[in-house]
Amino acid sequence: MNRKLRIYVPLALYGVFLMLPFLWMLLTAFKSDQELSQGLNPFWIAHPTISQFTNLLTQTAYAQWFANTLFISIAATVLSVFVSYITAYAIIRLRFPGSQVVSTAIFLAYIVPPAILFIPLATVIIQLHWFDKLWALVPIYATFLVPFCTWLLIGFLKNIPRELEEAARVDGASNLAILWRIIFPIAIPGLISAAIFSFTLSWNEYLYALVFMSSSVNKTVSVGMTSELIRGDTFQWGQLMAGALIGVLPAVLVYFFFVEYYVAGLAGSVKE
Amino acid sequence: MIRRPALAARLDSPRVLGYLLIVPAAIILLGLLAYPLLLGIWLSLTSATIGNPGQFIGLQNYATIFADPIFRGAAWYSVFYTICAEAGKLVLGLALALLLNQRFRGYRVSRALMLLPWVAPTVLSALAWLWLLDPQFSAISWLLLRLHLIHSNIDFLGHPWSARMSLIVVNIWRGLPYFAIGYLAGLQSIPKDLYEAAAIDGADGWQAFRRITWPLLMPITTILVAFSSIFTLTDFQLIWTITHGGPTDATQVFTTLAYQRAISGGQLGEGAAIAVSPIVIMIVLAFFVVRSVREK
Amino acid sequence: MRHIDRRDFLVSSAAGIGAAALAGSVPVTAFAAESPFKPEKGASLQLLRWTAFVKSDATIWDENTKKFTDATGVPVTIQNLTWNDVTPKAALAAQVGSGPDIVMGWNDDPFVYPDKLIEMTDLVEYMGKAHGGYYDNARSYCYDQDVKRWVSFPIGCTGNAVNYRKSWAKEAGFSEFPKDLDGMLKLARGLKKNGHPTGFALGHAVGDANSWTHWILWGFGGKQANPDNSIAINSGETSNALDYARQLYETMIDGVAGWDDSSNNKAFAAGLIGMTMNGISIWYAEKTADPALFPDFANATPPYGPVKTHTISNNFTSAYVFKYSKYPNAAKEYLRFMLDSPQADRWVTEMLGYVTPALRGYSDLPIWTSNPNITPYRDALAGAKYDGFNGKPGKAAAQALDEFVLVDMFADVCVNKLANKDAMRKAEAKLTAIYKRA
Repeated sequence: MNRKLRIYVPLALYGVFLMLPFLWMLLTAFKSDQELSQGLNPFWIAHPTISQFTNLLTQTAYAQWFANTLFISIAATVLSVFVSYITAYAIIRLRFPGSQVVSTAIFLAYIVPPAILFIPLATVIIQLHWFDKLWALVPIYATFLVPFCTWLLIGFLKNIPRELEEAARVDGASNLAILWRIIFPIAIPGLISAAIFSFTLSWNEYLYALVFMSSSVNKTVSVGMTSELIRGDTFQWGQLMAGALIGVLPAVLVYFFFVEYYVAGLAGSVKE
Repeated sequence: MIRRPALAARLDSPRVLGYLLIVPAAIILLGLLAYPLLLGIWLSLTSATIGNPGQFIGLQNYATIFADPIFRGAAWYSVFYTICAEAGKLVLGLALALLLNQRFRGYRVSRALMLLPWVAPTVLSALAWLWLLDPQFSAISWLLLRLHLIHSNIDFLGHPWSARMSLIVVNIWRGLPYFAIGYLAGLQSIPKDLYEAAAIDGADGWQAFRRITWPLLMPITTILVAFSSIFTLTDFQLIWTITHGGPTDATQVFTTLAYQRAISGGQLGEGAAIAVSPIVIMIVLAFFVVRSVREK
Repeated sequence: MRHIDRRDFLVSSAAGIGAAALAGSVPVTAFAAESPFKPEKGASLQLLRWTAFVKSDATIWDENTKKFTDATGVPVTIQNLTWNDVTPKAALAAQVGSGPDIVMGWNDDPFVYPDKLIEMTDLVEYMGKAHGGYYDNARSYCYDQDVKRWVSFPIGCTGNAVNYRKSWAKEAGFSEFPKDLDGMLKLARGLKKNGHPTGFALGHAVGDANSWTHWILWGFGGKQANPDNSIAINSGETSNALDYARQLYETMIDGVAGWDDSSNNKAFAAGLIGMTMNGISIWYAEKTADPALFPDFANATPPYGPVKTHTISNNFTSAYVFKYSKYPNAAKEYLRFMLDSPQADRWVTEMLGYVTPALRGYSDLPIWTSNPNITPYRDALAGAKYDGFNGKPGKAAAQALDEFVLVDMFADVCVNKLANKDAMRKAEAKLTAIYKRA
């Protein structure tokens, strides 16, 4: 009984703190505009309605934004994990001269705030003719995904015993083959970890998607919702929260199924 | 040994293959990050405004901003915000990880749900918090009023200090799961037999934590804090959405001020200088990350 | 309130054109034949505009755009961004030399990069002749005094008026809204005493905080700068304005220093405050939200202060065209079409006058007098001053506005309890630095 108290009471407290905004979002998404403007009991829905959801899906291009965001997140994840894996492999398994310098340089990539980087970056994007091309967000997102994923995978690959590679080399395998056939399967928890992290950050990104895309068909969920549901001083709160809830679903599903992998991946990478 | 063609063998040598493999990362980071960064630093050394490249003026922008009380205030609050938020996330994240590391009914669901704040798009959860911190409509105030814990609505965002602390709480809310999951991983990599040995020696929970858990968590703590601090020090969307830097510039941080000066005011050179100034702090943080990654 | 249906519209538009004729302007009926702006061959346009605050604005604007395309064969893609995001997007376009052809922007935006914009003099003069000239603020926000030309085409403003609850005002002893600030303060005190506090934003609310603080400042004769751009904020008049604001603050609801632009709308709709300042959207929303209570919501022209003239502050919107655009003539013709009769008549009418046009001719549209609560918005520009008054509109004024210098000065006095002279000195220092840089 004591153990139950020591677990469930703190858990409940954390639950309230972490879940309260989502509970509010959930309640708001099922209230009508009229009820919302009257400012009554926030924890009770007097007349539940799904009008916010139906309006969101029929009156805005939400489905398109959702599809866009899904496409970019998956593509950015695949690109970043792939690039990070081969980079980490090169740095930590091949240990070519200068690998430490490269490794350091990659971490320094984090010290640049997107809130200002977007201006000089825009010049580059324009010169490349990538402006308003949805797929261009994929390499752009890689700039803030690759450093962390590389770090994660370096830590993970560090702990794989060298005997595996040596045995493979004796059998005549090339380094490239080792990279794919031997090490890759073992690195999967780490790769999943990196993938989950990348997916989350891509899904949530706002500033670059706002600045570098201009057509309505190229908007992501965050950009589309804030640009079309915030009409000056009138916020369509019901639809905003409905869209936010739907928007959280993919990430929640991914985490629900893969959280164990994520944890295992991180665990593998920090083992001393 | 099976013979391979000479060229393939050359390409496969650690040196050559190594360089080849880092080419994609190099292209992306050099082209889309390093180059714009250098452009940004260059901008900070000029009198550039929107649409006008201006002239090279050396460190004058930096002199201007360091003499500006609003910049100094933003610098101070950025650091204060980061330190408080990181401390909060560390302590609460670790405590949550310790909790979730145990086996109890519903621990899997708990682990997944606990991640929600980190997983939700910031701009949208910031809007939800805007309502939760509303001086008239806050559900938090409503609840506390009904529980008779307060007698009037809380004015979260209407005064400088309450606004500053409210933002820190929101940042902790958002980043806590990241620390919790990271610590969960760290906890799982600690060998169980260490705890068994300690138990045999008669150590209690707290001593086991102090002597075994905490020291072994140092490496991951360093990583978590270093990465997270960088993100927190350059936080933008959360603050911009909730307080827009107000009231009376009390919640300005580096990025909001830089954005305001560069975009709204068109002062690109000065905005770039404000954005570049926290880099020194972040280089120090990055140094710690690199050190912990280096092999012994 | 009378429901405006098709029949009413036809009658009113005829009356509108008639009235315009009486006012001396030339009613423009057919367009392609008479307009001097001929779109280039194969033209297509990209417009960046702010997401409409009221649905009907977007609906009619889009319909009018389609009519333009049908008539000229020029396709127009419209990108909608929330109003605060238009400025950075446009700035980016100016910086990188590529982006939308036309931007419907705000306030001093065009003065931040005037040499990136095409000259609009011909369009401005043509439309001015056709519709009875412009209100003064049009020139303030679209004619760049440094490069000495029209860099933007004036569209209008999202007007501000005082919004209040009629029954509560009567309860406090006012059957009509006061004409001067002294009266308004008495009303505010009465409202507060009866449990219906007022509410005016003092946080970094881009629209609502700037609107009332500028109005009060100017109402007492205070000003930010002189015509030569020397700083004039530190004065007895400003101090009087601050005193008034402090007293008004005492009648306000808690938390206004943390308000954003949507806060007063929420509070007013929920009946938590009895008086605020806002665009017509706040009143318009009540029609569908609470039809039974709707008649109790009223709007009034912002009272004047000791200067005895109206000193309203509005958000001004204008359209500018980038030099990198391949189709400047098409752009001008599009703007001409959209702001010309009968397109603009319909636009203004259907959105209940949400945007007060800069062209004086449109003030004669019957929509303005169809309901006494809409009339104050008709005069929003007539009694208006521009931000940065009385200095030169431009980069410096734009930056001062975006940095909330005046708003923070008022907030320092009301919320942080600074003495007037300290708050003024702080603002003066900030303004001096800003104006020196620009």
